[in-house]
Amino acid sequence: MLERAAELLVYESDGLPGYHRTPSLAVFPASADEALAVVRELAREGVPFVPRGAGTGLSGGALADGAVLLGLQRLKRIIDIDPVRRVARVEPGVVNVTLTKAATRHGLHYAPDPSSQTACTLGGNLAENAGGPHCLKYGVTLNHVVAARVALPDGSVVELDGDDGGYDLLGAFVGSEGCFGVALELTVKLTPNPERIVTLLADFSSIDDAAQTVSAIIAAGILPAALEMMDQATVGAVEASIYAAGYPTDAAAVLLVEVDGAAVGLDEDVQGVNRICRAHGARDVRIATEPAARAKLWQGRKKAFGAMGRIAPHLVVQDAVVPRTKLPSLLARIADIGAANGVRVCNVFHAGDGNLHPNIPYNANDRDESARVHVAMRQIMQACIDAGGTITGEHGVGLDKLPYMDALFTPDTLDGMCRLRDVFDPERRANPGKVVPVRYCRERRPGKLMVDGRGQMVDGATAATITAESGA
Amino acid sequence: MTLRPTTVTDLAALITESAAKHRALRLIGRGTWLDGGAPVARDAEPLHLDAFSGVIEYEPGDLTITVGAATTIEELDTVTAAHNQWCPLSPWGADGGSVGATIATATPGPFALVFGLPRDLVLGLECVDGTGKVLRPGGKVVKNVAGFDLVRLMTGSWGSLAAITRISLRLRARPAVDETWLVSLDAVAAARAQEALRRSGTPPIACEVTAAGLLDSASPAGLLVRIAGNAAVVAAARHEVTAAGDARRVDGAAWTQLRANKTQRAPRIPSSAEVRALNAGVQRAFDPARILNPGIMG
Repeated sequence: MLERAAELLVYESDGLPGYHRTPSLAVFPASADEALAVVRELAREGVPFVPRGAGTGLSGGALADGAVLLGLQRLKRIIDIDPVRRVARVEPGVVNVTLTKAATRHGLHYAPDPSSQTACTLGGNLAENAGGPHCLKYGVTLNHVVAARVALPDGSVVELDGDDGGYDLLGAFVGSEGCFGVALELTVKLTPNPERIVTLLADFSSIDDAAQTVSAIIAAGILPAALEMMDQATVGAVEASIYAAGYPTDAAAVLLVEVDGAAVGLDEDVQGVNRICRAHGARDVRIATEPAARAKLWQGRKKAFGAMGRIAPHLVVQDAVVPRTKLPSLLARIADIGAANGVRVCNVFHAGDGNLHPNIPYNANDRDESARVHVAMRQIMQACIDAGGTITGEHGVGLDKLPYMDALFTPDTLDGMCRLRDVFDPERRANPGKVVPVRYCRERRPGKLMVDGRGQMVDGATAATITAESGA
Repeated sequence: MTLRPTTVTDLAALITESAAKHRALRLIGRGTWLDGGAPVARDAEPLHLDAFSGVIEYEPGDLTITVGAATTIEELDTVTAAHNQWCPLSPWGADGGSVGATIATATPGPFALVFGLPRDLVLGLECVDGTGKVLRPGGKVVKNVAGFDLVRLMTGSWGSLAAITRISLRLRARPAVDETWLVSLDAVAAARAQEALRRSGTPPIACEVTAAGLLDSASPAGLLVRIAGNAAVVAAARHEVTAAGDARRVDGAAWTQLRANKTQRAPRIPSSAEVRALNAGVQRAFDPARILNPGIMG
């Protein structure tokens, strides 16, 4: 348990450096039983809390503003791996890549692979419904979670199982960002390792050509394992860093395409991708088949966020998704918005899914630049919403995307989301103030204690009044 | 008077009024699922939702489609086939059933093992809950984690929380080569071959045990197998299928027949008291007056 200010400082941010919130206390149980005991104690005392894994989240979701921070990274036991059923039972603090390493001897791996996979925990992945480059073919966390043993905020324990009867409460729990309770144990699917993997790097002198290529590959019926795009700003940052991957720095955009599967037939897909890239103006297509060469091509992509640290001390990371066919026009629009506001946008993203990550490196101590970054981000998000997209594809809403929720959803839809939260956590003590703006949570149960927008415990009627008055 | 709203506004008004009057409603899309689920309260009034039908938005390049919930599976297949695409939803049951019923009942089909369950294929929806509120969770893009997941909640809720009016779905490009084979095998051998094929290096996209007489009186019992992909993959898969037993190539329409022969699943009651309590809480939150398909969840 940590309670001194200097110790708590470590936990005042997550993977997004722009936010700072200090927990009142940080608790790190060593076992699922201890974690449950903590949740029950918090329930008895009526104290709000925020579950946290490795703190690699990119939405400010694991920040605890005066609440108790419940760190789960010590719960890192892989309970068992069943190679026949191809499932693993794990504790929530198991690091993503650790499970894959443990499953390797069975020829299996855990498919969702966020860029932070060497640090992020499976419990955090579950809470955020995390994605990753290979989700294009293999699906996101939701598609890989079979069951979860969950401590509800009131201290009761439920087994949510995809095979159980009733409503899809497991589906509702995945991606609930720590607001519905704490997963004490997860059962996840393991995926057979592909027989063969080939990685291609295509470089383009026009970002529009690269974007058109993405749609053409998908439309041709080839489903790559991953289909990533990096623009010139990103490539420049990567190549200037220790993660240099040999990307062509004069290219307007590069596509990183991976195809995998049975050895037989894979060459046909490789040649298909190669042909489509060249037909759409690729200057060069490099084909890597050996693990070392493939790893090098991937290194730059996976470390791109880190490499941007060379450009400026702070970074805003966005996560919008647009329909694939809108990628060319959206990328042009984003460039215009960046130029108009005098900020530098680095695009590195899951192009195959239409999942954009427009990132802006900046100096948060420069108030003028911070303000321009903020305006640019808002305009980019609105452009993505206008194009029929969404504000987050895999990072979650957390704190960071709260301001965009009512541009995306109607008040009634947001109210419906609050009603679902209230089923799991009627007192609103789990990760209070995240995901849905408090002002849309109107349903009140008189006499029940709940948490207002500032994390204070008040009775239901008072909370409604405070919310209305503060307009928060 | 028949209840048959034609706009979502009218539907919302009708449900709001029904909630106030505690009038139970029986949701009907194409009416192919009326025997499914547990019995609905006998005095429930039929609420026809067939007006919410047809393609609302289809941009083939996005590999997504938005349709009215009462659109039939057959229409979905026809519309997407014109662009060399398909929706792997293809549920058990007749093709005259609706997309809405497929999502509401979360009915999978023979392609679910490879392409995902209904919960994996539905991207967003519009529905009117038991309080008369119009909810539009999710979206039409293939990756989306914005907000709490009312899409998954509604999928498989059997119309007991809301009436679904429109649905956005993920599509796939049709494979370059697509073959269906019928392998003649006895029941034990068929089950064994099914398992072996599913674990092979070039697994079929569907592989189902079938009784005799699927296609005509002479068609044998065994395994119906669909192999698809590029030419090289299918050639390898074909080799394995023909090695599994006496195999003959049949028309892909066999899948429509196989699916039509299967009956729908009924919802099951959750196994633990804690989960049953959560289910009851969900019902109170979205249909507090208990007017939508009351009793159908068992």
